[in-house]
Amino acid sequence: METKTGRALVIGAGISGIRSALDLAEMNYRVYLIDKSPHIGGILSQLDYQFPTDHCGMCKMLPTIGRDASSQFCLRKGLFHENIEVLPGTEMIALEGEPGNFKATLDSAPTFIDPEKCIGCGLCSAPCPVSLPDTFNGGLAKRKAVHLPVPHNIPNRYTIDMAACTRCGECEKVCPTGAIDLKTEARRAFKILVVDDELVVRDSLKEWLVVEGFSVDMADSGAEAIDLVSANEYGLVLLDVKMPGMDGVEALQIIREMKPDLPVLMMTAYATVETAVQAMKIGAAEYLMKPFDIEALNAKVVQQYESTVAVKGRVIEVGAVIMATGSDFCDPAKIPGAFGYDYPNVVTGLQFERIVSGSGPGAGKLVRPSDGKPARKIAFLQCVGSRDLKQKADYCSSVCCMFSIKEALLAKAKSGGEADTAIFYMDMRTFGKDFQRYRDSAEKESGVRFIRSRIHTVEPDIDGRLSLHYVDGEGAMVEEIFDLVVLAAGQRASKGARELARSAGVELNPAGFCRTDELFQSKSSREGVFAGGAISGLKDISESVIQAGSASLEASRLIRSKGGTSRPPEPKGALFKDSSRDLPRLAVALCACASSLAGGLDLEALGAALSRWDPSIRVLQTERVCTLAGKKSLLDSLRDTGCNMISIGACMPCLYGKMLLDLARETGLSPGLMDVVDIYTPAFGRGGQAEARVQTAMKMSIERLKGADPAPGRSFNIIRKALVIGGGISGLTAALAIADHGFKVDLVEKEADPGGLVRAIGSTIEGVATSGVLGRLVSGVRANSNISLHTGAEVVGSKAYQGLSFLTTIKTGDGETKQIDHGVTILATGGKEAATREYGFGQSGSVVTQHELEGRLGNGGAVGLGVVAMIQCVGSREEGRNYCSRICCQTALKNALRIKKDNPEAKVYIFYRDIMTYGFLDAYYTKARQEGVIFIRYSRDAKPEVTIGEGGKVTIVTRDPILGRDIAIEPDLLVLGTGLAPNDLGRLGEYFGFEVNEDGFFREAEYKWQPVDSKKRGVFACGVAHSPRSISESIAMAQAAAQRALVMLNRDVVEAGSVVARVRHGLCSLCERCISACPYGARSRNEENDRIEIDELACQGCGACAAVCPNSASVVRGFGDRQVMAMVDAALELI
Amino acid sequence: MQCGTCTGSCGSAARMEHTPRQLWRMVQAGMKDEIFKSRTFWLCSSCYYCTLRCPRGLPLTDTMAALKRVAVAEGYTTDRKSAPFYKAFLDSVRKYGRVRESEMMARYFLAVKNPAVPLSFVPLGMKLMARGKMDLHMPGFGGRGKLDRLYRKVMELEAAK
Repeated sequence: METKTGRALVIGAGISGIRSALDLAEMNYRVYLIDKSPHIGGILSQLDYQFPTDHCGMCKMLPTIGRDASSQFCLRKGLFHENIEVLPGTEMIALEGEPGNFKATLDSAPTFIDPEKCIGCGLCSAPCPVSLPDTFNGGLAKRKAVHLPVPHNIPNRYTIDMAACTRCGECEKVCPTGAIDLKTEARRAFKILVVDDELVVRDSLKEWLVVEGFSVDMADSGAEAIDLVSANEYGLVLLDVKMPGMDGVEALQIIREMKPDLPVLMMTAYATVETAVQAMKIGAAEYLMKPFDIEALNAKVVQQYESTVAVKGRVIEVGAVIMATGSDFCDPAKIPGAFGYDYPNVVTGLQFERIVSGSGPGAGKLVRPSDGKPARKIAFLQCVGSRDLKQKADYCSSVCCMFSIKEALLAKAKSGGEADTAIFYMDMRTFGKDFQRYRDSAEKESGVRFIRSRIHTVEPDIDGRLSLHYVDGEGAMVEEIFDLVVLAAGQRASKGARELARSAGVELNPAGFCRTDELFQSKSSREGVFAGGAISGLKDISESVIQAGSASLEASRLIRSKGGTSRPPEPKGALFKDSSRDLPRLAVALCACASSLAGGLDLEALGAALSRWDPSIRVLQTERVCTLAGKKSLLDSLRDTGCNMISIGACMPCLYGKMLLDLARETGLSPGLMDVVDIYTPAFGRGGQAEARVQTAMKMSIERLKGADPAPGRSFNIIRKALVIGGGISGLTAALAIADHGFKVDLVEKEADPGGLVRAIGSTIEGVATSGVLGRLVSGVRANSNISLHTGAEVVGSKAYQGLSFLTTIKTGDGETKQIDHGVTILATGGKEAATREYGFGQSGSVVTQHELEGRLGNGGAVGLGVVAMIQCVGSREEGRNYCSRICCQTALKNALRIKKDNPEAKVYIFYRDIMTYGFLDAYYTKARQEGVIFIRYSRDAKPEVTIGEGGKVTIVTRDPILGRDIAIEPDLLVLGTGLAPNDLGRLGEYFGFEVNEDGFFREAEYKWQPVDSKKRGVFACGVAHSPRSISESIAMAQAAAQRALVMLNRDVVEAGSVVARVRHGLCSLCERCISACPYGARSRNEENDRIEIDELACQGCGACAAVCPNSASVVRGFGDRQVMAMVDAALELI
Repeated sequence: MQCGTCTGSCGSAARMEHTPRQLWRMVQAGMKDEIFKSRTFWLCSSCYYCTLRCPRGLPLTDTMAALKRVAVAEGYTTDRKSAPFYKAFLDSVRKYGRVRESEMMARYFLAVKNPAVPLSFVPLGMKLMARGKMDLHMPGFGGRGKLDRLYRKVMELEAAK
């Protein structure tokens, strides 16, 4: 089989796109990461604070092993990895070929500002006369047509919003680097033909378009239009639908035959819209409605024009494609009436995030947009545009409940606890791990008010305040006045999803999201195209990251199966000579093109100044060092000097990662001894002194290198085998995924047969029988020669060795013990239906659990049932098991619908606290109500009272909060939704070094960013062992865990980063402050020799230990005290 | 049922014994007697706010009207005033093709068979008359009898149900 390095295309550079791209890059595939917008980060670039920590932690997604391959700074600012090519402003317009062998065509948006020349100085933006709402700040501030799309990007280039630009040319004049080219000539060359029988329409269109800089011809009939089209080269035709003689559609047909590539926009009055839509079917690009909205018309014409000047048709060959274009928010302005979004003090959740963001329009002060006065009474309205049949949104957006609680807490924090915050909701959907406790603490400790009432109208009050009328818990009408109203605007499919689906050849579901397999949610309708993140449905960050991992696993599996390889990355340390004992000999290379771009920076003088400052350094003049020729000439001159470290003065250091590595390979010098300094940007800017600024930058770099520790990062062994504990749906999925990549797996299952919890479930709520998928997985595992399945077996001990190496002892069913060596461990121990003693369980045969009911229903058990009552949240969401088990509401709905189907006469009552039908599951809640299932709410403080009478007769008495009176029901069957409890992990945590949370679930390293990792390297978890989840969610998580494990297994050795902490034992007083300060659990005290030890694989070089150490005994390599002080001195020298 | 939008929107909710939301729950629970003994649905002024605002798109105002019809059809007379009022209105329209206010009120007063009712309207009537808003003259009979066929057809259709 022919093998070549596998390549993948990831579409969408939001959080899940980044996760997928990093996953595949760490497996050593080549990855193209494209995004329509000019920056990476997606929605997250606008969010500063994330639940549950209430700050950002995106950087935790960066590689933790072999981390020198990627940039190691804030991921919201930029991503640089040697295997990832990031292409902003790029869309995929076609995907041809077969899975494993696709050809994807990419179009890039035209750039009017040369990204290589722009230094982000912002001089262009000052004279720009255009002012429009700032999209980054949710329209709360104004920006110019030439602007920074995201203020904190690295590198940060200005872009021009051409739809708003007046092409006055002022920015072109002031740009110090000549980066701006408005391409006015190209616009003039873009000829537009306007065809309309009415002179006034032709004339006014011509006038507008000429003002916009285009050339315009006119025709008054279809026939004339055709003559003109055949004689001239047009860029665009605007064609009226209704004309005497030949009408627009006929003319369109002829034009399409003559020039199939010429775009045609139909112009139509309201009466002929149908015809215009028909015209689009025969090839019209779009239609415009009369009377024209000039801005809309202009935007469409500019769009056509820009697509002609776009960089077209780059074709790349990839094995697999991952779609990760996420979701968008609905626009509350489009919901008729009601929410008062026109009032200045009614904002969306996203706008609220911008208000409280330090980079927002008000520098993070909690104020009202109308007048800048402090906002002290804030209402949060849930389900705006979600769970709303009238908005055709019969789904729950899944994320808003949590982000509203977070925002309410932010409001409390920003106001020193002064702000009064009230969340108006229907069901508070705290269905994720630890969500319920977060909500409880918001309510009890921070005083956030939770009011169960949907607000239907926001009315204005005096002084910009807003009045809300609602029914309170007691049924009384209340009017309350607020300073600020925050709308939890629901999620919608991402704006470009439809076009993307068309070009990728995949199907969408009715809500506009990617149609996926019911159980394997990363599979789209086209083989080889996978769905990562929220495009597969409504997902929060954590679930999106998991889904992204699942998609990259499937992409990798496919690429491999089609002959693409993911050879192990070369261990970098081994390549470079150890020069730690050599005297530092430093070369400085100054790139001449930076100087010419910078308009005559005198490099000779700079070199001379540096030589005077430190005579030991060698100064080399070079040019175009970023090109192959430049690199070669640099190598040549470097060879003669015998230098062992080099500082290169050039532009855009962040793009040099790969080139430094090449340079390192050829010179044998460690990349840690090379530095690239931006001498281009400091040469500009206000206040002159360009020479001094450039000199300072170079001197700091020289000092940094002089003190650098040249020893490469250490490498450790890895045993390239995996152990999976638990043979349920998660364990089976993970084991197969790893085995399919060619690695050996030991799968340990404590019961005699694999399958776990899923065996008790007949089918999912979507109606997919579980036996099929379980059967396929089990037979797949049994047939796979890479997997050793140990049934009836348990782990009885394990010891970790240096690097990634475990020796684990298992005891099999027949009492034998076996020893297994492995490098990674995946915990998939699952859970069970929780036991209960409540509500008369065990006292009557009429009280059963949901699983027992499901068993009965499978055997026609619904017939003969008159009244069925179900109680939800039994023993859950209250102390003891204070978490939502996530699956019980859907199980209750599934079983209730089954009963109604088999026996429509049966009455079903469901007693609930909050119905947790997140995402598309909400449609089943709607359906159940339509089928007549009656839902009665109870609260944690007033539970239904169940009495068991003679003959096991059950009576339920509870207070119906709607009627405000007690009701009694005597059901034939009472079904308890007891939720899920984790299986006992015993001493597994101790054996493998992971933590277990207070509910007995695995504790992940980081809920959002590292959901399947533990703090201990090489130990992962998935499925119910991590937290309650459904079958499809467990499968996705198992795939994500397998993916993380494969990143490690795919290496010959694992490398620690070059920047790690170490301890100077002579100075250490064993105070252990560093141990508690380390966020990665990398430090421990070795009791035998009484020393602090560092796990170099776990250490991420953050420096927290060095900062807390009172004796400077803890130091971080590459950041020595003397070295950093010398850099500070160099920085201050010229001031 | 769970969000309370209907009750929150209802202009008459404060005067109802049961709020609209409670009423729907009573319908679900099959509390027929209690529903028809209450005046809640009679107080619906058909402003359609609840229907407009209900996120589930439920036809709430129409359901209120349906309750009124069922109440008349099944002879619930707990509310002695509302049904006769509707009937007087419809009869007047049937007869003349439009409402003749004075006669309609006279029919209404006769139908409720309670002398206190006409008396309770005296202050309102005086006020209306003082402002010239009430005309004691009978308007013309141009539409007389023309709607009778329509009424009969509707009754036929309803009887057929």
